[in-house]
Amino acid sequence: MTKPSIPLGLVFSRSGPYAMMAREMEKSALMAVDEINQSAAFDFTFAAHLRDPGGVVTSYHAACDDLIRENHVEHIVGCYTSASRKQVIPIVERTERLLWHPARYEGFESSDNVIYVGAAPNHTVVPLVRHMLERIATDVFCAGSNYVWTWETNRVLREIVTNSGGRILAERLLELGDTTVDHIVKEIIDRRPPVVFNTLVGESSYSFMRALHAASIRAGIFIPVLSCSLCEPELKLIGPVASVGSITSSAYFESIESPENRAFVARWKARHGPDSHPSVDGQSTYVCVMLLARAIRRAGSTDVAAVRRGAANHRYESPQGPVWVDPDNNHCFLTPRLARSVPGCRFDIFWEADAPERPDPYLANLDMAAIVTKPTRGHDAVARRSNHLRVVK
Amino acid sequence: MTRPSPFSVRGRRALTLMRDERDLTIVRRQLNRLGMSVAEHDPAELPPMDETFDVIVLDADSVPIKSDPAVAWKLNIPIIALIGTETPSRLKWLLDLQPASFLIKPLRSAGLYTALVVAFDAAQRRIEEAAHVAKLEDRIRSRRVVFAAVLQVMRAHALSEEDAFALIRETAMRHRTTIEQLCADIIAAGGMPNRTSRTA
Repeated sequence: MTKPSIPLGLVFSRSGPYAMMAREMEKSALMAVDEINQSAAFDFTFAAHLRDPGGVVTSYHAACDDLIRENHVEHIVGCYTSASRKQVIPIVERTERLLWHPARYEGFESSDNVIYVGAAPNHTVVPLVRHMLERIATDVFCAGSNYVWTWETNRVLREIVTNSGGRILAERLLELGDTTVDHIVKEIIDRRPPVVFNTLVGESSYSFMRALHAASIRAGIFIPVLSCSLCEPELKLIGPVASVGSITSSAYFESIESPENRAFVARWKARHGPDSHPSVDGQSTYVCVMLLARAIRRAGSTDVAAVRRGAANHRYESPQGPVWVDPDNNHCFLTPRLARSVPGCRFDIFWEADAPERPDPYLANLDMAAIVTKPTRGHDAVARRSNHLRVVK
Repeated sequence: MTRPSPFSVRGRRALTLMRDERDLTIVRRQLNRLGMSVAEHDPAELPPMDETFDVIVLDADSVPIKSDPAVAWKLNIPIIALIGTETPSRLKWLLDLQPASFLIKPLRSAGLYTALVVAFDAAQRRIEEAAHVAKLEDRIRSRRVVFAAVLQVMRAHALSEEDAFALIRETAMRHRTTIEQLCADIIAAGGMPNRTSRTA
Protein backbone atom coordinates (compact mmCIF):
# COMPACT_ATOMS: atom_id res chain seq x y z
CA MET A 1 0.00 0.00 0.00
CA THR A 2 1.43 3.38 -0.89
CA LYS A 3 1.62 5.93 1.86
CA PRO A 4 -0.41 9.13 1.61
CA SER A 5 1.61 12.08 0.31
CA ILE A 6 1.64 15.40 2.13
CA PRO A 7 2.50 18.52 0.09
CA LEU A 8 5.33 20.53 1.67
CA GLY A 9 6.34 24.02 0.51
CA LEU A 10 10.05 24.91 0.40
CA VAL A 11 10.79 28.60 -0.15
CA PHE A 12 14.49 29.34 -0.60
CA SER A 13 16.24 31.90 -2.81
CA ARG A 14 18.54 29.68 -4.88
CA SER A 15 19.43 32.84 -6.80
CA GLY A 16 20.11 36.34 -5.52
CA PRO A 17 22.40 37.84 -2.87
CA TYR A 18 22.23 35.08 -0.23
CA ALA A 19 21.84 32.16 -2.65
CA MET A 20 24.77 30.28 -1.10
CA MET A 21 23.07 29.99 2.30
CA ALA A 22 19.63 29.33 0.81
CA ARG A 23 20.96 26.53 -1.40
CA GLU A 24 22.53 24.90 1.66
CA MET A 25 19.14 25.13 3.38
CA GLU A 26 17.20 23.71 0.45
CA LYS A 27 19.66 20.82 0.09
CA SER A 28 19.19 20.03 3.78
CA ALA A 29 15.40 20.18 3.52
CA LEU A 30 15.41 17.78 0.58
CA MET A 31 17.74 15.42 2.43
CA ALA A 32 15.31 15.35 5.36
CA VAL A 33 12.36 14.84 3.00
CA ASP A 34 14.09 11.83 1.41
CA GLU A 35 14.88 10.35 4.82
CA ILE A 36 11.27 10.72 5.95
CA ASN A 37 10.01 9.24 2.68
CA GLN A 38 12.27 6.19 3.05
CA SER A 39 11.58 5.69 6.74
CA ALA A 40 9.26 2.98 7.97
CA ALA A 41 8.66 5.07 11.09
CA PHE A 42 6.37 7.47 9.21
CA ASP A 43 3.12 6.38 7.58
CA PHE A 44 3.18 9.29 5.12
CA THR A 45 5.58 10.86 2.64
CA PHE A 46 6.34 14.49 1.84
CA ALA A 47 5.96 15.86 -1.68
CA ALA A 48 8.29 18.85 -1.81
CA HIS A 49 7.17 21.87 -3.84
CA LEU A 50 10.05 24.27 -4.45
CA ARG A 51 9.85 28.02 -4.94
CA ASP A 52 12.74 30.41 -5.60
CA PRO A 53 11.88 34.04 -4.81
CA GLY A 54 15.36 35.02 -6.07
CA GLY A 55 16.18 36.98 -2.94
CA VAL A 56 13.54 39.58 -3.87
CA VAL A 57 11.57 40.43 -0.73
CA THR A 58 8.30 41.15 -2.52
CA SER A 59 8.41 37.79 -4.35
CA TYR A 60 8.04 35.82 -1.11
CA HIS A 61 4.38 36.72 -0.74
CA ALA A 62 3.58 35.51 -4.27
CA ALA A 63 5.63 32.32 -3.80
CA CYS A 64 3.69 31.39 -0.64
CA ASP A 65 0.35 32.43 -2.09
CA ASP A 66 1.06 30.14 -5.04
CA LEU A 67 2.08 27.21 -2.80
CA ILE A 68 -1.11 27.58 -0.77
CA ARG A 69 -3.49 27.98 -3.74
CA GLU A 70 -1.89 25.68 -6.32
CA ASN A 71 -0.19 23.01 -4.22
CA HIS A 72 -2.52 23.17 -1.21
CA VAL A 73 0.34 23.17 1.26
CA GLU A 74 -0.42 23.65 4.94
CA HIS A 75 3.22 23.76 5.97
CA ILE A 76 6.04 25.82 4.49
CA VAL A 77 9.71 25.51 5.39
CA GLY A 78 11.72 28.50 4.33
CA CYS A 79 12.97 32.08 4.53
CA TYR A 80 16.49 33.10 5.49
CA THR A 81 16.20 36.85 6.10
CA SER A 82 13.86 38.61 8.51
CA ALA A 83 12.62 40.84 5.70
CA SER A 84 11.39 37.80 3.78
CA ARG A 85 9.79 36.27 6.90
CA LYS A 86 7.88 39.51 7.58
CA GLN A 87 6.46 39.22 4.03
CA VAL A 88 5.28 35.68 4.61
CA ILE A 89 3.74 36.13 8.08
CA PRO A 90 0.58 38.01 6.97
CA ILE A 91 -0.32 35.31 4.45
CA VAL A 92 0.27 32.35 6.81
CA GLU A 93 -1.68 34.14 9.55
CA ARG A 94 -4.59 34.97 7.27
CA THR A 95 -4.80 31.48 5.77
CA GLU A 96 -3.92 29.65 9.04
CA ARG A 97 -0.83 27.90 7.67
CA LEU A 98 2.46 27.22 9.45
CA LEU A 99 5.86 28.61 8.45
CA TRP A 100 8.80 26.59 9.79
CA HIS A 101 11.63 29.09 10.00
CA PRO A 102 15.17 27.64 10.16
CA ALA A 103 17.43 30.68 10.46
CA ARG A 104 18.62 32.37 13.63
CA TYR A 105 17.22 35.89 13.85
CA GLU A 106 17.23 38.98 16.06
CA GLY A 107 14.08 38.18 18.06
CA PHE A 108 11.14 40.43 19.06
CA GLU A 109 8.52 38.40 17.23
CA SER A 110 6.20 35.51 18.15
CA SER A 111 3.63 34.71 15.50
CA ASP A 112 1.27 31.82 16.24
CA ASN A 113 1.75 30.75 12.62
CA VAL A 114 5.52 30.46 12.71
CA ILE A 115 7.63 27.77 14.37
CA TYR A 116 11.00 29.41 15.00
CA VAL A 117 13.58 26.61 14.82
CA GLY A 118 16.61 28.90 14.50
CA ALA A 119 18.31 30.40 17.52
CA ALA A 120 16.80 33.29 19.48
CA PRO A 121 19.07 36.17 20.65
CA ASN A 122 19.52 34.60 24.09
CA HIS A 123 21.08 31.59 22.32
CA THR A 124 23.54 33.57 20.17
CA VAL A 125 24.51 37.14 21.04
CA VAL A 126 24.12 36.88 24.82
CA PRO A 127 26.57 33.95 25.40
CA LEU A 128 29.04 35.55 23.00
CA VAL A 129 28.98 38.95 24.74
CA ARG A 130 29.20 37.23 28.12
CA HIS A 131 32.27 35.35 26.96
CA MET A 132 33.80 38.55 25.61
CA LEU A 133 33.31 40.41 28.88
CA GLU A 134 34.50 37.52 31.03
CA ARG A 135 37.50 36.47 28.98
CA ILE A 136 38.59 39.06 26.43
CA ALA A 137 37.76 42.73 26.94
CA THR A 138 35.06 45.23 27.86
CA ASP A 139 35.79 47.66 25.00
CA VAL A 140 34.77 46.53 21.53
CA PHE A 141 34.87 47.71 17.91
CA CYS A 142 31.78 46.80 15.85
CA ALA A 143 31.69 46.15 12.10
CA GLY A 144 28.39 45.11 10.57
CA SER A 145 26.04 45.06 7.60
CA ASN A 146 23.53 47.90 7.67
CA TYR A 147 20.29 46.03 8.35
CA VAL A 148 18.04 44.75 11.15
CA TRP A 149 20.28 41.86 12.31
CA THR A 150 23.23 44.19 12.98
CA TRP A 151 21.12 46.99 14.43
CA GLU A 152 19.44 44.76 16.99
CA THR A 153 22.50 42.59 17.75
CA ASN A 154 24.56 45.74 18.35
CA ARG A 155 21.82 47.22 20.52
CA VAL A 156 21.91 44.14 22.77
CA LEU A 157 25.72 44.24 22.74
CA ARG A 158 25.73 47.94 23.67
CA GLU A 159 23.23 47.44 26.49
CA ILE A 160 25.22 44.60 28.07
CA VAL A 161 28.64 46.20 27.47
CA THR A 162 27.76 49.66 28.82
CA ASN A 163 25.98 48.08 31.77
CA SER A 164 29.27 46.33 32.56
CA GLY A 165 31.25 49.55 32.36
CA GLY A 166 32.67 48.84 28.88
CA ARG A 167 32.56 50.96 25.75
CA ILE A 168 31.55 50.58 22.12
CA LEU A 169 34.69 52.06 20.53
CA ALA A 170 33.08 52.41 17.11
CA GLU A 171 30.20 51.07 15.06
CA ARG A 172 31.03 50.88 11.35
CA LEU A 173 28.32 49.72 8.92
CA LEU A 174 28.46 48.62 5.28
CA GLU A 175 25.52 48.23 2.92
CA LEU A 176 24.57 44.59 2.22
CA GLY A 177 26.89 43.12 -0.39
CA ASP A 178 29.38 46.04 -0.15
CA THR A 179 32.98 44.77 -0.15
CA THR A 180 34.81 48.10 0.22
CA VAL A 181 36.18 47.19 3.63
CA ASP A 182 39.63 48.83 3.51
CA HIS A 183 38.70 51.98 5.47
CA ILE A 184 37.27 49.89 8.31
CA VAL A 185 40.29 47.58 8.37
CA LYS A 186 42.63 50.61 8.40
CA GLU A 187 40.76 52.15 11.33
CA ILE A 188 40.97 48.87 13.26
CA ILE A 189 44.71 48.53 12.62
CA ASP A 190 45.27 52.19 13.60
CA ARG A 191 43.19 52.04 16.78
CA ARG A 192 44.01 48.47 17.80
CA PRO A 193 40.81 47.67 19.71
CA PRO A 194 41.08 44.66 22.04
CA VAL A 195 38.30 42.85 20.15
CA VAL A 196 36.14 43.21 17.01
CA PHE A 197 32.47 42.21 16.89
CA ASN A 198 31.60 41.22 13.32
CA THR A 199 27.96 41.24 12.17
CA LEU A 200 28.82 41.64 8.50
CA VAL A 201 27.13 39.01 6.32
CA GLY A 202 27.97 37.26 3.05
CA GLU A 203 30.61 38.73 0.74
CA SER A 204 31.08 41.80 2.96
CA SER A 205 32.14 39.53 5.81
CA TYR A 206 34.45 37.35 3.69
CA SER A 207 36.24 40.41 2.25
CA PHE A 208 36.53 41.93 5.71
CA MET A 209 37.99 38.79 7.29
CA ARG A 210 40.55 38.41 4.50
CA ALA A 211 41.58 42.07 4.58
CA LEU A 212 41.79 42.22 8.38
CA HIS A 213 43.87 39.05 8.46
CA ALA A 214 46.33 40.41 5.86
CA ALA A 215 46.58 43.82 7.57
CA SER A 216 47.05 42.25 11.02
CA ILE A 217 49.96 40.16 9.77
CA ARG A 218 51.57 43.21 8.16
CA ALA A 219 51.16 45.15 11.43
CA GLY A 220 52.31 42.18 13.50
CA ILE A 221 49.23 42.17 15.73
CA PHE A 222 46.33 39.82 16.47
CA ILE A 223 42.85 41.09 17.22
CA PRO A 224 40.18 38.50 18.10
CA VAL A 225 37.05 38.66 15.93
CA LEU A 226 33.66 37.57 17.27
CA SER A 227 30.71 36.45 15.14
CA CYS A 228 27.18 35.13 15.64
CA SER A 229 26.74 33.81 12.13
CA LEU A 230 29.91 32.31 10.70
CA CYS A 231 29.57 28.68 9.51
CA GLU A 232 31.80 26.00 7.99
CA PRO A 233 31.00 26.58 4.28
CA GLU A 234 31.82 30.26 4.85
CA LEU A 235 35.22 29.44 6.38
CA LYS A 236 36.01 27.79 3.05
CA LEU A 237 34.94 30.90 1.14
CA ILE A 238 37.04 33.18 3.36
CA GLY A 239 40.08 30.99 2.82
CA PRO A 240 42.02 28.39 4.79
CA VAL A 241 44.31 30.90 6.54
CA ALA A 242 42.23 34.08 6.97
CA SER A 243 39.32 32.11 8.43
CA VAL A 244 41.34 30.80 11.39
CA GLY A 245 40.87 32.18 14.91
CA SER A 246 37.38 33.63 14.73
CA ILE A 247 35.21 33.04 17.80
CA THR A 248 31.67 32.12 16.82
CA SER A 249 28.44 31.58 18.73
CA SER A 250 26.07 29.02 17.24
CA ALA A 251 23.68 26.22 18.15
CA TYR A 252 25.34 23.93 15.59
CA PHE A 253 28.84 23.12 14.47
CA GLU A 254 29.84 20.20 12.26
CA SER A 255 32.33 19.18 14.98
CA ILE A 256 29.68 18.39 17.63
CA GLU A 257 30.60 15.01 19.10
CA SER A 258 27.43 12.95 19.35
CA PRO A 259 26.20 9.77 17.64
CA GLU A 260 23.33 11.73 16.05
CA ASN A 261 25.65 14.34 14.58
CA ARG A 262 28.32 11.89 13.43
CA ALA A 263 25.63 9.93 11.59
CA PHE A 264 24.16 13.14 10.15
CA VAL A 265 27.55 14.37 8.89
CA ALA A 266 28.25 10.94 7.36
CA ARG A 267 24.89 10.96 5.55
CA TRP A 268 25.52 14.56 4.46
CA LYS A 269 28.94 13.75 3.00
CA ALA A 270 27.63 10.60 1.31
CA ARG A 271 24.98 12.71 -0.39
CA HIS A 272 26.88 15.95 -1.12
CA GLY A 273 30.50 14.85 -1.39
CA PRO A 274 33.37 14.29 1.07
CA ASP A 275 34.55 17.92 0.80
CA SER A 276 31.15 19.43 1.63
CA HIS A 277 30.16 20.64 5.10
CA PRO A 278 26.72 20.99 6.66
CA SER A 279 26.08 24.53 7.94
CA VAL A 280 24.14 25.77 10.98
CA ASP A 281 21.27 27.00 8.80
CA GLY A 282 21.30 23.81 6.72
CA GLN A 283 21.20 21.62 9.79
CA SER A 284 18.44 23.79 11.24
CA THR A 285 16.40 23.37 8.03
CA TYR A 286 16.84 19.60 8.34
CA VAL A 287 15.58 19.89 11.94
CA CYS A 288 12.55 21.90 10.73
CA VAL A 289 11.44 19.06 8.42
CA MET A 290 12.12 16.44 11.12
CA LEU A 291 10.17 18.38 13.78
CA LEU A 292 7.30 18.85 11.32
CA ALA A 293 7.22 15.14 10.40
CA ARG A 294 7.20 14.15 14.09
CA ALA A 295 4.49 16.68 14.91
CA ILE A 296 2.30 15.38 12.06
CA ARG A 297 2.84 11.82 13.29
CA ARG A 298 1.86 12.78 16.85
CA ALA A 299 -1.14 14.80 15.67
CA GLY A 300 -2.29 12.14 13.19
CA SER A 301 -3.15 15.07 10.94
CA THR A 302 -1.62 17.93 8.97
CA ASP A 303 -4.13 20.36 10.48
CA VAL A 304 -2.19 23.40 11.67
CA ALA A 305 -3.70 23.62 15.16
CA ALA A 306 -3.19 19.88 15.72
CA VAL A 307 0.39 19.98 14.41
CA ARG A 308 1.18 22.99 16.61
CA ARG A 309 -0.04 21.01 19.63
CA GLY A 310 1.85 17.93 18.39
CA ALA A 311 5.10 19.90 18.13
CA ALA A 312 4.81 21.48 21.59
CA ASN A 313 7.38 20.12 24.05
CA HIS A 314 8.11 17.09 21.84
CA ARG A 315 11.80 16.32 22.25
CA TYR A 316 13.75 15.39 19.12
CA GLU A 317 17.35 14.11 19.33
CA SER A 318 18.72 16.16 16.45
CA PRO A 319 22.28 16.51 15.13
CA GLN A 320 22.67 19.64 17.29
CA GLY A 321 21.33 17.81 20.35
CA PRO A 322 17.89 17.73 21.93
CA VAL A 323 15.48 20.27 20.40
CA TRP A 324 11.88 20.97 21.29
CA VAL A 325 9.29 23.68 20.67
CA ASP A 326 8.34 25.93 23.59
CA PRO A 327 4.56 26.41 23.19
CA ASP A 328 4.79 29.71 25.11
CA ASN A 329 6.42 31.46 22.15
CA ASN A 330 6.78 28.88 19.30
CA HIS A 331 10.58 29.14 19.48
CA CYS A 332 12.87 26.17 20.25
CA PHE A 333 14.89 25.03 23.23
CA LEU A 334 18.45 24.85 21.84
CA THR A 335 21.96 24.37 23.22
CA PRO A 336 24.16 27.47 22.74
CA ARG A 337 27.81 26.82 21.90
CA LEU A 338 30.99 28.83 21.37
CA ALA A 339 33.78 27.69 19.08
CA ARG A 340 37.01 28.92 17.54
CA SER A 341 37.72 28.40 13.85
CA VAL A 342 40.81 26.25 13.30
CA PRO A 343 42.82 25.17 10.21
CA GLY A 344 40.88 22.83 7.94
CA CYS A 345 37.76 25.06 7.87
CA ARG A 346 36.52 23.54 11.10
CA PHE A 347 35.32 24.84 14.44
CA ASP A 348 36.81 23.78 17.74
CA ILE A 349 33.99 23.95 20.32
CA PHE A 350 35.29 25.26 23.66
CA TRP A 351 32.03 25.89 25.50
CA GLU A 352 28.46 24.66 25.46
CA ALA A 353 25.52 25.19 27.79
CA ASP A 354 24.82 22.42 30.29
CA ALA A 355 21.35 21.85 28.85
CA PRO A 356 19.13 23.23 26.07
CA GLU A 357 18.16 26.82 26.94
CA ARG A 358 14.62 28.12 26.95
CA PRO A 359 14.10 30.51 24.01
CA ASP A 360 13.70 34.16 25.05
CA PRO A 361 12.85 36.06 21.85
CA TYR A 362 12.15 39.31 23.73
CA LEU A 363 15.16 38.94 26.06
CA ALA A 364 12.62 39.38 28.86
CA ASN A 365 14.75 37.28 31.20
CA LEU A 366 18.14 38.78 30.42
CA ASP A 367 19.81 39.18 33.81
CA MET A 368 22.53 41.83 33.50
CA ALA A 369 23.61 41.30 37.11
CA ALA A 370 24.62 37.71 36.27
CA ILE A 371 27.15 38.90 33.69
CA VAL A 372 30.55 39.16 35.35
CA THR A 373 33.29 41.31 33.88
CA LYS A 374 36.73 39.89 34.36
CA PRO A 375 38.84 40.88 31.39
CA THR A 376 42.07 38.94 31.40
CA ARG A 377 45.30 40.42 30.16
CA GLY A 378 46.21 39.55 26.63
CA HIS A 379 43.85 38.93 23.79
CA ASP A 380 43.45 35.22 23.65
CA ALA A 381 40.14 33.83 24.77
CA VAL A 382 41.19 30.71 26.56
CA ALA A 383 38.21 29.10 28.19
CA ARG A 384 38.66 28.31 31.83
CA ARG A 385 36.27 26.94 34.35
CA SER A 386 33.92 29.42 35.94
CA ASN A 387 30.36 29.56 37.17
CA HIS A 388 29.18 30.43 33.71
CA LEU A 389 31.48 28.56 31.40
CA ARG A 390 31.91 24.84 31.08
CA VAL A 391 34.79 23.48 29.07
CA VAL A 392 33.96 20.57 26.84
CA LYS A 393 36.43 17.92 25.63
CA MET B 1 17.74 61.75 36.57
CA THR B 2 17.98 58.39 34.81
CA ARG B 3 15.08 57.81 32.50
CA PRO B 4 13.48 54.35 32.76
CA SER B 5 13.94 52.63 29.40
CA PRO B 6 10.61 52.13 27.63
CA PHE B 7 12.11 49.05 25.95
CA SER B 8 12.48 46.98 29.09
CA VAL B 9 8.96 46.06 30.05
CA ARG B 10 9.73 43.10 32.31
CA GLY B 11 8.12 43.31 35.72
CA ARG B 12 5.62 46.05 34.77
CA ARG B 13 1.97 45.53 35.61
CA ALA B 14 -0.83 45.66 33.07
CA LEU B 15 -4.57 45.88 33.69
CA THR B 16 -6.79 44.58 30.91
CA LEU B 17 -10.27 45.99 30.41
CA MET B 18 -11.45 43.55 27.81
CA ARG B 19 -14.15 40.96 27.24
CA ASP B 20 -13.34 39.20 23.97
CA GLU B 21 -11.78 35.91 25.03
CA ARG B 22 -9.78 35.54 21.80
CA ASP B 23 -8.20 38.98 22.16
CA LEU B 24 -7.62 38.36 25.88
CA THR B 25 -5.78 35.13 25.12
CA ILE B 26 -3.45 36.96 22.74
CA VAL B 27 -2.82 39.83 25.18
CA ARG B 28 -2.23 37.47 28.13
CA ARG B 29 0.22 35.30 26.15
CA GLN B 30 2.13 38.23 24.74
CA LEU B 31 2.41 40.02 28.11
CA ASN B 32 3.63 36.80 29.73
CA ARG B 33 6.25 36.40 26.99
CA LEU B 34 7.45 39.90 27.82
CA GLY B 35 7.68 39.10 31.54
CA MET B 36 4.83 41.44 32.55
CA SER B 37 2.11 40.61 35.04
CA VAL B 38 -1.53 40.89 34.06
CA ALA B 39 -4.66 41.67 36.06
CA GLU B 40 -8.08 41.54 34.45
CA HIS B 41 -11.05 43.74 35.16
CA ASP B 42 -14.52 44.04 33.68
CA PRO B 43 -14.63 47.17 31.54
CA ALA B 44 -18.15 48.03 32.64
CA GLU B 45 -17.16 48.11 36.31
CA LEU B 46 -15.63 51.05 38.13
CA PRO B 47 -11.81 51.02 38.41
CA PRO B 48 -10.18 49.10 41.28
CA MET B 49 -8.86 51.80 43.60
CA ASP B 50 -6.62 49.68 45.78
CA GLU B 51 -4.09 48.66 43.12
CA THR B 52 -1.61 50.46 40.90
CA PHE B 53 -0.77 49.58 37.32
CA ASP B 54 1.80 50.71 34.77
CA VAL B 55 -0.48 50.43 31.76
CA ILE B 56 -4.13 49.79 30.91
CA VAL B 57 -5.11 47.78 27.84
CA LEU B 58 -8.63 48.93 27.07
CA ASP B 59 -10.99 47.46 24.51
CA ALA B 60 -12.57 50.71 23.39
CA ASP B 61 -15.65 48.91 22.07
CA SER B 62 -16.45 47.36 25.44
CA VAL B 63 -17.30 50.54 27.36
CA PRO B 64 -20.57 52.38 26.70
CA ILE B 65 -19.68 55.99 25.84
CA LYS B 66 -22.03 57.71 28.25
CA SER B 67 -21.49 55.49 31.28
CA ASP B 68 -19.87 56.16 34.66
CA PRO B 69 -16.92 53.82 34.00
CA ALA B 70 -16.30 55.67 30.74
CA VAL B 71 -15.49 58.75 32.82
CA ALA B 72 -13.81 56.88 35.65
CA TRP B 73 -11.08 55.47 33.40
CA LYS B 74 -9.57 58.92 32.94
CA LEU B 75 -6.74 57.99 35.28
CA ASN B 76 -3.13 59.02 35.15
CA ILE B 77 -2.03 55.65 33.75
CA PRO B 78 -1.08 55.25 30.07
CA ILE B 79 -3.83 53.59 28.08
CA ILE B 80 -3.44 51.33 25.04
CA ALA B 81 -6.73 51.45 23.18
CA LEU B 82 -7.93 48.44 21.17
CA ILE B 83 -10.03 49.83 18.38
CA GLY B 84 -12.70 48.05 16.36
CA THR B 85 -15.31 50.73 15.70
CA GLU B 86 -13.82 53.72 13.96
CA THR B 87 -16.90 55.97 14.16
CA PRO B 88 -16.18 59.59 15.09
CA SER B 89 -18.47 59.36 18.15
CA ARG B 90 -16.41 56.48 19.53
CA LEU B 91 -13.09 58.09 18.60
CA LYS B 92 -14.13 61.39 20.21
CA TRP B 93 -14.69 59.57 23.49
CA LEU B 94 -11.36 57.84 23.02
CA LEU B 95 -9.50 61.13 22.47
CA ASP B 96 -10.80 62.36 25.83
CA LEU B 97 -9.02 59.41 27.44
CA GLN B 98 -5.76 60.53 25.74
CA PRO B 99 -4.64 57.00 24.77
CA ALA B 100 -0.86 56.70 24.75
CA SER B 101 -1.04 54.24 21.86
CA PHE B 102 -3.52 51.99 20.09
CA LEU B 103 -3.97 48.72 18.21
CA ILE B 104 -6.56 47.84 15.59
CA LYS B 105 -8.60 44.67 16.18
CA PRO B 106 -8.44 41.76 15.47
CA LEU B 107 -5.27 41.49 17.49
CA ARG B 108 -2.13 39.60 16.46
CA SER B 109 0.86 38.80 18.62
CA ALA B 110 2.84 41.38 16.65
CA GLY B 111 2.13 44.98 17.60
CA LEU B 112 1.56 44.79 21.34
CA TYR B 113 5.24 45.27 22.19
CA THR B 114 5.35 48.39 20.01
CA ALA B 115 2.17 49.70 21.65
CA LEU B 116 3.68 49.13 25.11
CA VAL B 117 6.98 50.83 24.25
CA VAL B 118 5.14 53.82 22.74
CA ALA B 119 2.83 53.99 25.78
CA PHE B 120 5.65 53.85 28.34
CA ASP B 121 7.67 56.40 26.38
CA ALA B 122 4.64 58.70 26.04
CA ALA B 123 3.89 58.38 29.75
CA GLN B 124 7.48 59.25 30.65
CA ARG B 125 7.44 62.24 28.30
CA ARG B 126 4.17 63.42 29.86
CA ILE B 127 5.74 63.31 33.33
CA GLU B 128 8.80 65.22 32.11
CA GLU B 129 6.71 67.76 30.23
CA ALA B 130 4.46 68.31 33.25
CA ALA B 131 7.55 68.96 35.40
CA HIS B 132 8.89 71.35 32.77
CA VAL B 133 5.61 73.22 32.56
CA ALA B 134 5.44 73.46 36.36
CA LYS B 135 8.91 74.99 36.37
CA LEU B 136 7.97 77.51 33.69
CA GLU B 137 4.79 78.44 35.51
CA ASP B 138 6.82 78.95 38.66
CA ARG B 139 9.08 81.35 36.78
CA ILE B 140 6.13 83.28 35.38
CA ARG B 141 4.66 83.59 38.88
CA SER B 142 7.95 84.95 40.24
CA ARG B 143 8.39 87.46 37.43
CA ARG B 144 6.79 90.21 39.56
CA VAL B 145 9.18 89.42 42.44
CA VAL B 146 12.21 89.57 40.12
CA PHE B 147 11.02 92.88 38.70
CA ALA B 148 10.58 94.36 42.19
CA ALA B 149 14.02 93.11 43.31
CA VAL B 150 15.75 94.58 40.22
CA LEU B 151 14.07 97.93 40.92
CA GLN B 152 15.22 97.84 44.54
CA VAL B 153 18.86 97.04 43.58
CA MET B 154 18.77 99.76 40.88
CA ARG B 155 17.69 102.33 43.48
CA ALA B 156 19.97 101.14 46.32
CA HIS B 157 23.12 100.91 44.21
CA ALA B 158 22.34 103.49 41.52
CA LEU B 159 22.68 100.92 38.74
CA SER B 160 21.11 100.56 35.30
CA GLU B 161 18.52 97.82 34.90
CA GLU B 162 21.02 95.75 32.95
CA ASP B 163 23.75 96.07 35.60
CA ALA B 164 21.27 95.43 38.43
CA PHE B 165 20.12 92.21 36.80
CA ALA B 166 23.71 91.14 36.10
CA LEU B 167 24.58 91.71 39.77
CA ILE B 168 21.60 89.64 40.91
CA ARG B 169 22.46 86.86 38.48
CA GLU B 170 26.11 86.73 39.58
CA THR B 171 25.13 86.78 43.25
CA ALA B 172 22.62 83.97 42.67
CA MET B 173 25.30 81.92 40.97
CA ARG B 174 27.78 82.57 43.76
CA HIS B 175 25.20 81.61 46.37
CA ARG B 176 24.20 78.60 44.30
CA THR B 177 20.55 79.54 44.28
CA THR B 178 18.07 80.53 41.59
CA ILE B 179 17.51 84.12 40.50
CA GLU B 180 13.90 83.79 41.62
CA GLN B 181 14.89 82.62 45.11
CA LEU B 182 17.50 85.38 45.54
CA CYS B 183 14.97 88.00 44.43
CA ALA B 184 12.51 86.74 47.04
CA ASP B 185 15.33 87.04 49.63
CA ILE B 186 16.12 90.61 48.44
CA ILE B 187 12.49 91.66 48.87
CA ALA B 188 12.31 90.00 52.31
CA ALA B 189 15.61 91.52 53.51
CA GLY B 190 14.99 94.91 51.95
CA GLY B 191 18.30 94.68 50.09
CA MET B 192 21.09 92.32 49.02
CA PRO B 193 21.25 89.49 51.57
CA ASN B 194 24.39 88.87 53.62
CA ARG B 195 26.75 86.94 51.37
CA THR B 196 28.11 84.58 54.03
CA SER B 197 24.67 83.49 55.19
CA ARG B 198 23.87 81.65 51.96
CA THR B 199 27.15 80.29 50.78
CA ALA B 200 26.79 76.59 50.24
